[in-house]
Amino acid sequence: MKNLIHAELQKLRTTRLIYLMGLLAVAYPLLTTLGAIGNAGRVGAGPPLSTAEGLRNVFDSVSSGGIIVLIIGILIMGGEFRHNTATSTFLISPKRGQVVVAKIATSVLVGAALAVIASLLTLAIALPWLAAKHVHVDIFSRNIGLVLLGGIAVMTIYAAIGVGVGSLIRNQAVAVAVALTWVLVVESLLISFAHEIGQWTPTGATAALTSASRTGLLPMWGGAVLLVAYGVAFAVAGTRFTMRRDIS
Amino acid sequence: MTSIQINGLTKRFGTVVAVDNLSFEVAEGSITGFLGPNGAGKTTTLRMLLGLIEPTAGSSIIAGKPYRELADPFRQVGAVLESTSFHPGRRARDHLRVLCTAAGLPPTRADEVLHEVGLADVGDRRVKGFSLGMRQRLGLAAALLGEPELLILDEPANGLDPEGVHWLRNFLRGYADSGRSVLVSSHLLAEIAQTVDDVVIVAKGRLVTQSSLADLAGRKKPGVWVRTPQAEVLRQALGSKGIAAEVQTPDTLVAFEATTEAVGIAAAGAGVVIFEMTTQHFDLEEYFLELTTPTMDPTIEGASR
Repeated sequence: MKNLIHAELQKLRTTRLIYLMGLLAVAYPLLTTLGAIGNAGRVGAGPPLSTAEGLRNVFDSVSSGGIIVLIIGILIMGGEFRHNTATSTFLISPKRGQVVVAKIATSVLVGAALAVIASLLTLAIALPWLAAKHVHVDIFSRNIGLVLLGGIAVMTIYAAIGVGVGSLIRNQAVAVAVALTWVLVVESLLISFAHEIGQWTPTGATAALTSASRTGLLPMWGGAVLLVAYGVAFAVAGTRFTMRRDIS
Repeated sequence: MTSIQINGLTKRFGTVVAVDNLSFEVAEGSITGFLGPNGAGKTTTLRMLLGLIEPTAGSSIIAGKPYRELADPFRQVGAVLESTSFHPGRRARDHLRVLCTAAGLPPTRADEVLHEVGLADVGDRRVKGFSLGMRQRLGLAAALLGEPELLILDEPANGLDPEGVHWLRNFLRGYADSGRSVLVSSHLLAEIAQTVDDVVIVAKGRLVTQSSLADLAGRKKPGVWVRTPQAEVLRQALGSKGIAAEVQTPDTLVAFEATTEAVGIAAAGAGVVIFEMTTQHFDLEEYFLELTTPTMDPTIEGASR
């Protein structure tokens, strides 16, 4: 298993795409956070920074990298079928279950690492800026600390979900398109207009973990359990499907 | 000893039967040609043998076990299945090193096999710049990583230039001469006739015949082609001597399984004038076509549905 995880990390290192996606996964939450600070308290934007909600709104932006990590997970699996490298991968390691588990582990490692980097960079820029605005921030407070941890958890779990989606949808481009449409359009609409359904979606669970406004969402622990359940479900379904499918 | 054993292997894709109750064995230490027209089920058979496609029925054993149950399959079997299975943006050496890592082999094996297939100079290049021939060689390099005892190649000559085909022939010959085995598929018998010891011929997913190449060639004796204005008279004269013959045009005739001497003597006895006479050499390729073309072989005709 150790060899397989090393091989998966090596696969990522030896093509260019992961560097671009990694950059996006760090830059996107960073820019979202900075935007949140800049816009805080304005009409139509989040609540002012002087409130607990306003501060949470700044730091929950880290979880916005989840969608990028989801795509990284899809690419880790889908790339094998897109470029037909699945054949050589499964010839060397015919125990496919182990290969998929190694891919999930690799994706989770990458997702967690990117989340930590994004969080640290966000803090490094946000804390001085907020201090300059005379906003007091205690990152170890329950208010902020849990939101930051929640953001890291979201990116980590989305990385596992991505490998599952990439396993279940054979065509990589279709998998990415379906995932983006689902998360950005379908789930957003459900949360906005049918939150009693929307709260049970991955985006709903993400919001429960990190969001500033807490109306119409599951409790924080509920969101955490639900998101982990989604991660496990996609990982198991993807592994089982890949073990059975014909590689041709 | 057998290195490959295929028992009643069947694969259906929906209503299409790609491989139909196929059984054959491959002996150790030989080059076996796996032959059949395009669509005969060769690739599907090889992929089932290598654990990539789940058979509908039947089983296959390679190096003593089903492929998926081999502990370190790359040490026993090396396979080259298609020329496009590389990430275009990855360097050739990196492609091999990833496989080394997954297999627990030292990364230096990547350089050794690159050298072995003649790609040592281009190991740092990304695969998207590779010609089809270079990709075939890179695929072969990957198959050689674990120094396997058995090589399986699916249509390896596709896309190779004559020089590449020549190189591949020599490579496979050298490989088998060192006591190891090769199973190589092709839709052209001529392409591998110079290289193989044995042949397994399939058509429409079914086994047509399995034999040594020498036995296959020996199955058909040469005939004699004759140009004469008295073709029908000669046919009767040959018939009285027990030689079957067929008048093809009013002035040409073919005597089956005969020598020019026998035809000449029969012609002299009947007073037949001969303008031209030549031995028809047995064409292995034509025989292969005959074996694998459904309309000409009743056993295959029975298999069509």
